[in-house]
Amino acid sequence: MFDWIKNINKEYPEFWKNYVSKFEKKATRFVVISTETTGLNPSKDVILSIGAIAVENNSIVVQDHFEVVLLQYRYLHDNGLSNEFIIESNLPKLGEPEAIQAFIEYIGNAILVGHRIHFDIEMINEALYKMGCSRIKNEALDVEIMYRKLSDITDKQFSIDDLCKAFKITRSDRYASSEDAYTIALLFLKLKSRLNLPI
Amino acid sequence: MNIIAERIADFLKDFPPFNNLTIDELRTVALSIRVINLEKHKILFKIDDALHDCFYMVASGAINLSVISDAEETLLNKCIEGDVFGLRPFFAKNNYMMTAKAREESVVYAIPIATFRPFVVQNAEVLNFLLESFANNSTHPSDQNRGKLLSDNVVYSGGQQSEIQYFQSLTYNKAPLKTTPNSIVKDVAQLMTDNLSNSVLVTENNFPIGIVTDTEMRTKIATGRFPLTATIDKIMSSPVITVAENVSLAEAQLLMLKSNISHICVTQDGSEKSEIKGMIAEHDLIVAQASNPGILIKEIKRSQDAKDLKKVRSKLADMIQSSIAKNIPLTHINNITGEINLAIIKRSVELSILELGSPPARFAWLSIGSQGRKEQLLLTDQDSILVFEDVAAEKYREVKDYFLKLAKKTIGNLEKVGYPPCPNGHAANNIQWCKSLTDWTKQYENWMNTPGEVSNEISSIFFDYEIAFGETKIEEAITNVIFTNIKKSKLFFDYLGNDALRKPPPLSFFKKFNLEEDGPNKDKFDIKTRALMPLIDGARLFTMNNNIRGINNTYLRFKQLAMVDPKHSEIYLNCAEAFLILSKFRVLEGLKTDSSGQYINIEEMSKADREILKNALNPIKDLEELIKDSFQLTQFS
Repeated sequence: MFDWIKNINKEYPEFWKNYVSKFEKKATRFVVISTETTGLNPSKDVILSIGAIAVENNSIVVQDHFEVVLLQYRYLHDNGLSNEFIIESNLPKLGEPEAIQAFIEYIGNAILVGHRIHFDIEMINEALYKMGCSRIKNEALDVEIMYRKLSDITDKQFSIDDLCKAFKITRSDRYASSEDAYTIALLFLKLKSRLNLPI
Repeated sequence: MNIIAERIADFLKDFPPFNNLTIDELRTVALSIRVINLEKHKILFKIDDALHDCFYMVASGAINLSVISDAEETLLNKCIEGDVFGLRPFFAKNNYMMTAKAREESVVYAIPIATFRPFVVQNAEVLNFLLESFANNSTHPSDQNRGKLLSDNVVYSGGQQSEIQYFQSLTYNKAPLKTTPNSIVKDVAQLMTDNLSNSVLVTENNFPIGIVTDTEMRTKIATGRFPLTATIDKIMSSPVITVAENVSLAEAQLLMLKSNISHICVTQDGSEKSEIKGMIAEHDLIVAQASNPGILIKEIKRSQDAKDLKKVRSKLADMIQSSIAKNIPLTHINNITGEINLAIIKRSVELSILELGSPPARFAWLSIGSQGRKEQLLLTDQDSILVFEDVAAEKYREVKDYFLKLAKKTIGNLEKVGYPPCPNGHAANNIQWCKSLTDWTKQYENWMNTPGEVSNEISSIFFDYEIAFGETKIEEAITNVIFTNIKKSKLFFDYLGNDALRKPPPLSFFKKFNLEEDGPNKDKFDIKTRALMPLIDGARLFTMNNNIRGINNTYLRFKQLAMVDPKHSEIYLNCAEAFLILSKFRVLEGLKTDSSGQYINIEEMSKADREILKNALNPIKDLEELIKDSFQLTQFS
């Protein structure tokens, strides 16, 4: 609870100071993110890949896109898992600290959007903690919560597939964080116009 | 490496103009794209909006392109997945000429012009594709080739009745009088006199080199400036003003005014160094103008017998044919034709009255069925009823006799004009359909309150009527009877609903056309009963149910319904569109085979046309579902 007192005189990495300074301006950009992880426990599991795409002026900007595969050799080795899929993929590959730094530089002060985004953020925060940074400062929106609000159903869970079905979006059969981010971005646009969100 | 751009590039490559690009070029294009989600009915751009810096492609959903004409929104085209639209910024600087609106929730790709322009410049095929679409003035809303481009350089023709004449082509003298340059003036004058012609072309190797008209004879011969024995080349006017074949009325008119002449020579390629094909005289222009709708109506009013009317009717057929060929919207053609048909009926009644003496009571001659709805483009049967005011009981017989005679004469006249009599006897010369207002009131009340009880022969066409001749008060009285009874008669709607659903389905379970199985029209498609009637019946049913008065036309009924009942507006609008498409098929068939167009030969149609026809049949299902939901149909089935 008093973490912030502990950290008050702490010297942060350069990129983090830069990141924090971006919040002096109000955000007009949304970044839709999707992560792939080894499991659901933030303290034990690690991020395998991050995909993100920006939404500005009610449209998805294809060019404004981020994708990275994290090289988690240590985790995989410790758990006796194969790293074949990482080597096969032709996506940009970085070690965890470099990948997280690139991601933080990419998102800037944007409002983050995702599906069950609190979990994605928790995972990223965990990685940031290891790098001696504090928690992510961005505002965040969750498409599942947006949909619950729209349909006035509070006691039900909606997977991305459920939401796609509700909005008649066909999902790509290829699986990648980027593809997911794009699908969530479409969902977000549809939800946003229905809920009459500003910006 | 951008997976999303890859995915979009992969989508683009299947559609023109993108199929002409390499995969690397496609990646560049895909990278620059913005993806936009449009809610249903959301407007992307509208007429007179400043141009966007991009053009659009439909990724999913459908976008309607429309223009506003006569304060009515007219649909030009529907873009579906893979269609490209909003190309105006490529070619023009002024604002958008049409409105793009999401027909359903849609996702579109916005492709920046700046990124795409280099590919247009480098790639001739891409350029051609864009230019073609931009020059394509087609306003046919059902032209559904996949991946087509949609033009926004639309020249919207029609709108006003008078405009039609400018699309008319001219008929002119195809064998003009000709002579050689060394003929003697006196002989030529004799030739003209013998042929009752006021002009003659002077030719060399069948090329026109000069023209001699009455004017030359007057100014150069009669004044004594040239002797009668001079050769014709001394007095001819030269050079001759020439035009190419298939010149339009407006063009010929302009040329004559500009050059201050009364004759134009038609040659093969439009120059004076090519073969003569004919001659247009001022008189031809006057004749051509005479078949404009206004003049036709005047002509009808002056007609003295059925033969005169028949002539006018055949001119009308020409006009319909050329109007359809010129892509003038069917609604306008329907309107004009309706008015002219009405004038013909009116004049027929008048002619009968002139013969029989003035009527002993006031009456109204109502057109029912297709003419009542103003949808009669072909020479199909004229359904009609006659309502006369109530008279004293002792005079009833006499009065009814008069009107029966009047009806018989009128329908005889119409038959001579070319309208066949109704095979079901739904005409005023039938003793059953020629009666007093009280009797008619009872008749309508019977139909509406106890449908199906007295006879199964309640024909819904009696509810589409329009006054052709006589007292409008009587028409109003009938309308009042119907609408007072509507309020208390649920049963009536259920009956009509059943009646509408009883029509045989147009498509089989396997989406094949249901063709006639036997009879003279074996293997043809009955477009009237299977496609048009369900729409007409549905439109009537819902307008009456919604208490909409005074709109008898199926197209307008659907349009009105879409406004009154916004919940189902999409179904209604689709039906309105489908109705026009189907009517057009019927008219074309009718004109081609000189029949009522009821049976269409599917085999002869092109594959594209067959698809269009099939698509136009889809809304019928939705409409039938709506009928089933809205009324209790079990009572009669």
